[in-house]
Amino acid sequence: MSILQSIKNAVRSRSIHVSYIDVGSCNGCDIEVLACLAPRYDIEQYGIYVHNNPREADVLLVIGSVTPQWEDKLRNIWEKIPAPKAAIAIGNCPISGCVYARKGSLTTPPVKNYIPIAAEVPGCPPRPTEILSAILSVAPLIFKDYEEKQS
Amino acid sequence: MKKTVDVSIPLGPMHPCWKEPVRLKCETAGERVLHTEVELGYMKKGIERIMRGRPWQEVMFLAERVCGICSVVHNMVFIEAMELISDIAVPPRAACLRVVANELDRIASHLIANFSYCYTIEHETLAMYLLNTRETVLDNLERLTGSRINTAYMIPGGVRFDLLPEDAATMLADLAKVEEELKRYVRIFETGPLIGLRSRGIGYMSREDAIRAHTVGPTARASGVEDCDLRLRHPTYRALGFEQVTRTEGDNFARVMLRFQEVFQSIDLIRKCVDTLPAGHIRGGGLCRAGEVSYSGEAPRGELTYTIKTDDFGRVLDIAIRTPSIMNIEACAHYMVVNATSIADVTSTFISSDPCIACNER
Amino acid sequence: MRSIVYYVREFLRPEWLKKFFFVKTAPLVTPPYFKGYPTLTGKDCTGCFTCMMICPAPDAIAVLRRKEQWEPEVYPGHCIRCGLCVEACPEGVLASGRVTDLARRDATAFWHSFHLEVDESLCMRCGNCCVSCPINRQIDPQLAGTGTSTSDEVIMRVSSGRVRILHEEKCTGCKTCETQCPSGAIRVARMVEGVQFLDGVES
Repeated sequence: MSILQSIKNAVRSRSIHVSYIDVGSCNGCDIEVLACLAPRYDIEQYGIYVHNNPREADVLLVIGSVTPQWEDKLRNIWEKIPAPKAAIAIGNCPISGCVYARKGSLTTPPVKNYIPIAAEVPGCPPRPTEILSAILSVAPLIFKDYEEKQS
Repeated sequence: MKKTVDVSIPLGPMHPCWKEPVRLKCETAGERVLHTEVELGYMKKGIERIMRGRPWQEVMFLAERVCGICSVVHNMVFIEAMELISDIAVPPRAACLRVVANELDRIASHLIANFSYCYTIEHETLAMYLLNTRETVLDNLERLTGSRINTAYMIPGGVRFDLLPEDAATMLADLAKVEEELKRYVRIFETGPLIGLRSRGIGYMSREDAIRAHTVGPTARASGVEDCDLRLRHPTYRALGFEQVTRTEGDNFARVMLRFQEVFQSIDLIRKCVDTLPAGHIRGGGLCRAGEVSYSGEAPRGELTYTIKTDDFGRVLDIAIRTPSIMNIEACAHYMVVNATSIADVTSTFISSDPCIACNER
Repeated sequence: MRSIVYYVREFLRPEWLKKFFFVKTAPLVTPPYFKGYPTLTGKDCTGCFTCMMICPAPDAIAVLRRKEQWEPEVYPGHCIRCGLCVEACPEGVLASGRVTDLARRDATAFWHSFHLEVDESLCMRCGNCCVSCPINRQIDPQLAGTGTSTSDEVIMRVSSGRVRILHEEKCTGCKTCETQCPSGAIRVARMVEGVQFLDGVES
């Protein structure tokens, strides 16, 4: 492993830009992601910066079960994010639809059918401690040796 | 007739200030914004259609997940509507515990609304202070019900868990701390000169406009509308001596300050409830029967109405939910941001009227 | 000028200075009173299916038979952690946070009764409901694949071209028949009531 690659690994695991997208949820998981930003479960101390711009993001947090309006736009936004990228599904909604996966619902879970998901955090909503441990355990692995894997 | 505008700028579904996807199309002439149109539909899940034919123990969880921020009040209004249909009486201890959970959730919701506003006017320090205070409140809600959000605390006939005496003592101590911190933050907000520049006089809505637009909740009370708080008609709140908080300025500043004042009022209500908690049962039993009712309660954002029709086995045949954000978003888009001075004012005014798009389109 | 002095005074408070220099990371622990995913306590499950009956999330809990022993299994991607199954279990097989302790302290319980109904216009007489019912399978091990049965003790069976419901009182409300029905013809009405026994007297 070359020195350049190890420098890139070190930098990419310590500074992650996150953008979140809400494709039709109840806002519970959204609020728990905001609680992660709060001073108590401070996520910025690990170098993770949450803004809302897909063009500058490394990690996309997907929240919610897919509503009819988002079916085409979700793929568009995923294409806009520059590689290397990863998507993490937060909550039960993107995994299985939570309580909305019944007859008569307008949503079409799971989100896996639309964009590739790297990790899942189950819960309705997952506690900020659970979101933090999931992101921290996945962060150093997803971008490791990205250039060497490409070739 | 052709309308001439310079540019029509979409404040699109993904925006750093919005927490939920909604599109605001602003028609501008230079820097002035003449008119806005709201495009909704990004969060429509069809919850009311899913609820048909389900018993109360499943509809209760769907009703909670209409909105995760004000989930406790959706639970309360649905359960109280079912109790009205089936003539189920609630023991007094359970009624007090319901008020405690409801007011804790109201404090958390108002703090999130004010956090949103401070984040939108780029005062991140105060926003983070408020979010930190909210964590203490959610801790107490967790001690009472077992989870922070989507608590599922109330069932027809009472509540699920009791409040232990040591948890009650911790709650009172925590609320005293929250009140002291909040007094400092309100002073910062009131006297901060830059905050005042961006909030006073911006997004003004007169009392006549508020009544004409059928605004509800804190957005209406900040414009001086009297008698629009449904807690005045609830028997448990009336017994606690509840009075509505009103302000007359009708701008962003008034709306945010009104929410702070309502937080102080909620802390008082919780203290009164915990101090005078009657002993007794927490569940009164009661089966759900057939009937039809339309019942309203006061959500943190305004008036929430559930119209339910049930069959003989307690299953919901038909349900219609009218949430407060429907009226408030219409009022904001068509009365508050007309002829705004710049787009920055459009975002801050929209967020100060506290929209909850998930509530809006279930 | 006044605003600069204001903010400088804000940041020179001893409380703020202490927090700035000596801040510690928040511990990533979950408090014990949080309702987590239900875990098995090790007590023997009797296969009464009350947890499956009361669960509000689709496909969240399933009671499976492993080698002579029933055991409930919770699927985290579907479970919404409401705690109803923990409260409703009569044997105390599941545990989550303080739910079982509080239920025992307050003597609370859920009473239930069921009613089965078949919509004749939607029923296609496939027999899925009779075959998938776990109580049917326990009563008559020789239940045929199309739902017919020679025993008169089963809850329901297909005979003379119709689904006939014989013993509604044996139903445990697990709603497996409802989920397996392809047209939504059979429905289990589950009437649940939350009660509390104080001083031995039901409220």
